[in-house]
Amino acid sequence: MLSNSPPLSGLAGEAARKPTIWETLTSERYFRWTLLIPLLVLLAVFMLYPLIYSIYFSFHDWGMQGDPIFSGLHNYRQLVFDQNFLLAFWRTLEVTLICIVVELGLGLGLALLWNRDFKGQNVVRGLALLPLLVAPLILSLLWNFILDFNFGALNHILSALGLGRVNVWRPSIALYTICFMTIWQWLPFSTFVLLAGLKSLPRDVFEAARVDGASRWYTFRRLTLPLLSPLIMIIVVLRSMWLIRLFDPLFGTTRGGVNTELLDWITYRTSFVMFDIGYGSAMAILSWAVTMALCMVMFRQLMKQMAPKT
Amino acid sequence: MLKKLLFWVTTVLVLAIIVAPLAWIYLTAFKGPADLFASDLKRFVVFKPTLENFVVLFRDYPFWPNLLNTFIVSVAGTAVTVICSLMAAYSFARWNTGGGDILFMTVSTRMFPMAVAAVPHFVFFKNLGLLDTHLGLTLLYVFFNISFATFLLYGFFNEVPKEVEQAAMIDGYGRIEVFRKIVFPLIGPGLAVTSVFCLIWMWNEFFFAFLFTRDDARTVNVLLSSFWGGLQVQYGLMTAGAAITILPTLIAAWFMQRYIIRGLTFGAVKG
Repeated sequence: MLSNSPPLSGLAGEAARKPTIWETLTSERYFRWTLLIPLLVLLAVFMLYPLIYSIYFSFHDWGMQGDPIFSGLHNYRQLVFDQNFLLAFWRTLEVTLICIVVELGLGLGLALLWNRDFKGQNVVRGLALLPLLVAPLILSLLWNFILDFNFGALNHILSALGLGRVNVWRPSIALYTICFMTIWQWLPFSTFVLLAGLKSLPRDVFEAARVDGASRWYTFRRLTLPLLSPLIMIIVVLRSMWLIRLFDPLFGTTRGGVNTELLDWITYRTSFVMFDIGYGSAMAILSWAVTMALCMVMFRQLMKQMAPKT
Repeated sequence: MLKKLLFWVTTVLVLAIIVAPLAWIYLTAFKGPADLFASDLKRFVVFKPTLENFVVLFRDYPFWPNLLNTFIVSVAGTAVTVICSLMAAYSFARWNTGGGDILFMTVSTRMFPMAVAAVPHFVFFKNLGLLDTHLGLTLLYVFFNISFATFLLYGFFNEVPKEVEQAAMIDGYGRIEVFRKIVFPLIGPGLAVTSVFCLIWMWNEFFFAFLFTRDDARTVNVLLSSFWGGLQVQYGLMTAGAAITILPTLIAAWFMQRYIIRGLTFGAVKG
């Protein structure tokens, strides 16, 4: 079959025979969709179905028992004036912003630092990658232990140094402790993505810039940064999606207390602790819609930059 | 010289901040109750090591069966995820199927609050008898990881020039042969990175394992979380379990770093 000819023309010669299902599925015309079947089935079952289910319950009152009672927009109206929900929303945005800025800044710094050949580079990079690979749950239990006010290792060290103990879980700073835990775990992600980016940059361009006598700062600002910008964009999009759904670090530590209740935790608490499925669903739908809208804008931009090479 | 010194001071400092908490897991795992909360800095590292935590963990808790569950679910889940996302990513990269919208939908699955999606999933699984089974948890993990896996592989496929495929097709190869003989070998490193990422995230997943498994398919993370009792935490058992559980991921880190540096560019940097 000559495949650079128009679609299906290859079948014209054997028009008498009806193509089998397999042939239809793998023909130039339908193959692209055949490849998507498993994905689409998964999306329908695990995404579309819960989504519709949640939309349905967001308009109802339901406590997991008895029949759901239709309540119209009541859940949403209540949500807009719910102090706890709004606070959780702002906190989530704050955490997202802080973590992304710090991760990008430090990640870029470390990537530039380690983008050279040095003795023991494999050891350094292997160690630097570790936090990303350890279960967030284990880490949250671990940090709870290390940062404990009375018997945590940090406070033992601080008091031995004569600096006095610090209560990192006091309400005014507990949220930043969560940020620290998150950044500690995810810094390798941006570092390694940017490092991979730096390694794949075309060398000749930089050679030319050096020959032309461009200063280091100028090369960085005019060459390195623009070339890395698609990767920075990818980090921002992926990390904001994951950060908005931050949950595990809270599980072993504050459990939503001391001013650290984030969006997913309040949603979880409403649905699974207070069993208010209707209200919890409304929270989910609202926060989902807002984050979708935000990410859609960023993602469109991203797709333009990621389009296949021609 | 000064520059070199500065480089190493920064590097060592960063590594210390990274390694210290993880080292704490291994130190604590070998400590007896007397040393566990010692405030004397010397006793942080100089203590009489004991295997007591491990002995209790293996004797009184189903640690090994739970670890096996984690292993089964992660390996099976990774295999299915990689196959599904390989197909989908190829379609997205070659034909831009769905004009980017389906790809966005796929990636955006991570944005839906899983805490709430868990309710319908739970009801659904209960009706099908999938609660507390390996199959059920595997399916969930496939769904969670397919978004990132597809996105990653999409980047790798983008780096395979279309001309190579066209040339092969002119030589009389069919689509499937092109995929199997030309494209597949070219994205080897990408496939490795994607698989390891899936494997690790499935190994580490907690929330759904916590909600959906109880005995038969309980994963090791759920067991570890049960040592957290609010007021009383059994840190010795917790760290002993964690020390073994994170061992494979630590080994993976060593093999991964080279691949990641070569491969994790999402196909986004243009020469």
